[in-house]
Amino acid sequence: MRIIVGIKWVPNTQAVRFDPETGTLIRRGVPSIVNPHDLPAIELALRLRDSAGGEVIAISMAPPPAVKGLELALGMGVDLAILVTDRVYAGADTLATSYVLSHTIRKIEREYGSVDLVIFGQETIDSSTAHIPAQVASWLEWPYIYYVREARILDNKVVRVVRELEEYIEEYELETPAVLGVAMRSLKPRHVSLSNKIRARFEKKLIIWSNNDLKLDTRCVGLKGSPTIVAKTIDMPEVPRRKEVYKPRDARDAARWIISRMLEDEKLRELLQRTLWGVKS
Amino acid sequence: MRVLIAMVRDRFDIVIVGAGPAGCTAAYLLAKAGFSVLLVDRGRGAGSKLLWGGKAYAQPLRDIWPELDREAPIHRWVSRDRFSFVWGDRVLTLEYKLGRKVAFTVYLPELVSWMARKAESVGATFIDEVVIDEIIVRDGVVYGVRSGNDIIRANVVVDAEGINRMLLEKLGLASKPNPYSLSLGVKEVLSLDSKLIEERFNLDKGEGLAWLVAGDITKGIPGGGFIYTMRDSISIGLVLSIGHAADMAEKGLLKEHVSSLVESFRLHPYFRVYWREADIIEYGGRMAIEGGLSYMPKKLYTNGLLVVGDAAGLLVNTGYTIRGVDTAVTSARLAAETIVEAHNKGGFTEDNLRAYEEKIKRSYIYKELVEHRGIEDVFRDQFFFTKFPALATRIGAKLFESDYEEPSMLRALLDSAREEDISILRIIYKLGRVARKL
Amino acid sequence: MSQQSRLKQLKLEELLQRDVWDVDEDRHIEVLNQEGLPIKALIILCPMGCYSMAGDKLLMSYEGCVECGTCRVLSSPDKIRWSYPRSGRGIQYRYT
Ligand SMILES: Cc1cc2nc3c(=O)[nH]c(=O)nc-3n(C[C@H](O)[C@H](O)[C@H](O)COP(=O)(O)OP(=O)(O)OC[C@H]3O[C@@H](n4cnc5c(N)ncnc54)[C@H](O)[C@@H]3O)c2cc1C
Ligand code: SF4
Repeated sequence: MRIIVGIKWVPNTQAVRFDPETGTLIRRGVPSIVNPHDLPAIELALRLRDSAGGEVIAISMAPPPAVKGLELALGMGVDLAILVTDRVYAGADTLATSYVLSHTIRKIEREYGSVDLVIFGQETIDSSTAHIPAQVASWLEWPYIYYVREARILDNKVVRVVRELEEYIEEYELETPAVLGVAMRSLKPRHVSLSNKIRARFEKKLIIWSNNDLKLDTRCVGLKGSPTIVAKTIDMPEVPRRKEVYKPRDARDAARWIISRMLEDEKLRELLQRTLWGVKS
Repeated sequence: MRVLIAMVRDRFDIVIVGAGPAGCTAAYLLAKAGFSVLLVDRGRGAGSKLLWGGKAYAQPLRDIWPELDREAPIHRWVSRDRFSFVWGDRVLTLEYKLGRKVAFTVYLPELVSWMARKAESVGATFIDEVVIDEIIVRDGVVYGVRSGNDIIRANVVVDAEGINRMLLEKLGLASKPNPYSLSLGVKEVLSLDSKLIEERFNLDKGEGLAWLVAGDITKGIPGGGFIYTMRDSISIGLVLSIGHAADMAEKGLLKEHVSSLVESFRLHPYFRVYWREADIIEYGGRMAIEGGLSYMPKKLYTNGLLVVGDAAGLLVNTGYTIRGVDTAVTSARLAAETIVEAHNKGGFTEDNLRAYEEKIKRSYIYKELVEHRGIEDVFRDQFFFTKFPALATRIGAKLFESDYEEPSMLRALLDSAREEDISILRIIYKLGRVARKL
Repeated sequence: MSQQSRLKQLKLEELLQRDVWDVDEDRHIEVLNQEGLPIKALIILCPMGCYSMAGDKLLMSYEGCVECGTCRVLSSPDKIRWSYPRSGRGIQYRYT
């Protein structure tokens, strides 16, 4: 089994602060972290390897500081980490990123042997598009399942995955190679271990590929290969909450009270009418 | 499947726990001396868990890195030292202009990252994000360290874990910390343009100011305040005796949260003019040793173990200044020397490592610690952080705030002492006591 | 930029917004038994306000902890379980 897990190095959005004084976002000194939704993906990859044998390779397309994130993955027990980094990759949208990642996976197949599974976190905290796993699957022309909560290797070529949607649970059996998007918070990630970290350091398990290695057409990568245009970004100011305490007789009374309070608000009234009762205003 | 060559490194000559100033120094010197060295810290990157005041004494660091002045991430060389007594809105300030580069200001996480890179550059292996859970001793000899299920063996473990001595306590070498021998530092970093800093504090480019403050800013808790100018920010904070503050809180004598004491200090009319438009960019807390020999463990060495820095209680806290970084660095240097000598003598036995404690006792650190022994008591004395600032500022008020008369210095002193109900003899006695201790 | 508005006392919650944590899922500090703890001292001295009362129960929210050890010093292992967050998580000081 050879499993690839994709990692994104993202600014810790919790640390970005709005300065009401100057009306700008303060990004100075905001440290980056491994996208929290990637941690269950790493955990799933490691569990599959631990049960079926094989190796897990973490990949990330990012500027050099992202080695800290790959070191965390190595500390968790990933066998090899590849940072794909090049100036020409800068400014990439999801299309250009997925293009580079899919070629990274192809190169891994050429250098290390065939890949069975590619696992991603469902989305990232800094952009939340959830595009990457689906796009990588399309470039590779491999099947893709998202919102995965569990997976099990049945035999060498078949995995059974469980995905949980809002109202029901689905189970799939699919042939590898395949791409999985792992649901947020589905698995508790393991901690970094000292021996994994030392081993990664001494066995030089962190390698760096640039476009000299991947040899991609520079028109398809980075800013040039990115058709997405960000038209405008708007900061949503936090809406102050109005707290009220109401002691209802029962659930029905509580619901009635909440709805009556919402109907008092002009904006909410319109929203309620449209969504709940399908009334166009 | 690719076969991985199992080359698990589970043994080092030296394992150092904690990449603070002490641990990084030991790692640098020992790796340079040719040992295989593993330096472990629980933070993400060296220094990410550290908070301090802001001023480091340079010479003890230059002894190890002569390139310090050129290479280290120094913010400003301290050219002015100030001391203020505060009582309400009244303030008395003394200033001293230094003649040479004795100390500099720096963010501790930056300084420590620099030290860790130095250690790596001479071959030490630095591993972050890992907590060491235990120093393992077998048959009376240190065997290695444990983190979770991993055991790494070592011939010598250097304990540089800092003030929170979880590992030494587990080994029985340190007892449960006494809240009266510890203080809590609460701090804010205020961002301010470097030109404004230089204008307002009367500094030339690259020069810095260190400012210590005593008085009712601590609301009667033994302790004081500090202000340090950084490159384009200012560090301000309070250091408060934990034991005393806890007693006061429990008795209902202290009702405000410590963060609000720091905020009042930031907004104090005398001080706030220096940073009125500054934004707070960081807030936090960390403990410091109150001073003297009270935090020193019974022994600084056993078979295969040496204790350095804050963990060894080697911090000089004179009440007007905290020196923990240079003393940590120096103790680590002495530990490294001892390890090299013990190696040459044939082993890291307790007998061969005993020299470390002797070196410490001969060093400037110990002299400072002994000389300042009891200084905590002096500064904890109500007189010094309440009566004295009150008296000093009252004298000031008499001298400078009279509308008609021009009182003499002596008159102002005598009247103030009477009004504050302090006898002149007591003042002389107390001052003499401090003079002897300092 | 108005200077006056910088010169107002900030609430602890506003101060906490200045800091960065990578919060661990595992709780590293836990009140085991509040009997005999110096509760007022913990509430006032924890610089990050991690301790608070809910009715007569002492609550500890570990998310904003800076791992300073003050509450450890003011308690004992049978009353407060105290450890460090793992994997480098917890407070990430940048300037200090
Ligand atoms: C408010 C305040 C103001 C101060 N001001 C000054 C000043 O202006 N000038 C000055 O010289 N000194 C000052 N000090 C003191 C100075 O910061 C310390 O004395 C100094 O940092 C001690 O260095 P150290 O290497 O011994 O320990 P530390 O700096 O505490 O380093 C210990 C390291 O060990 C790590 N660690 C601990 N346990 C483990 C474990 N089990 N596993 C893995 N890693 C672990 C920690 O993360 C930490 O990085 C101040 C202290 C405070 C609190
Ligand atoms: S360790 Fe410090 S910051 Fe954390 S809860 Fe205890 S007192 Fe608060």
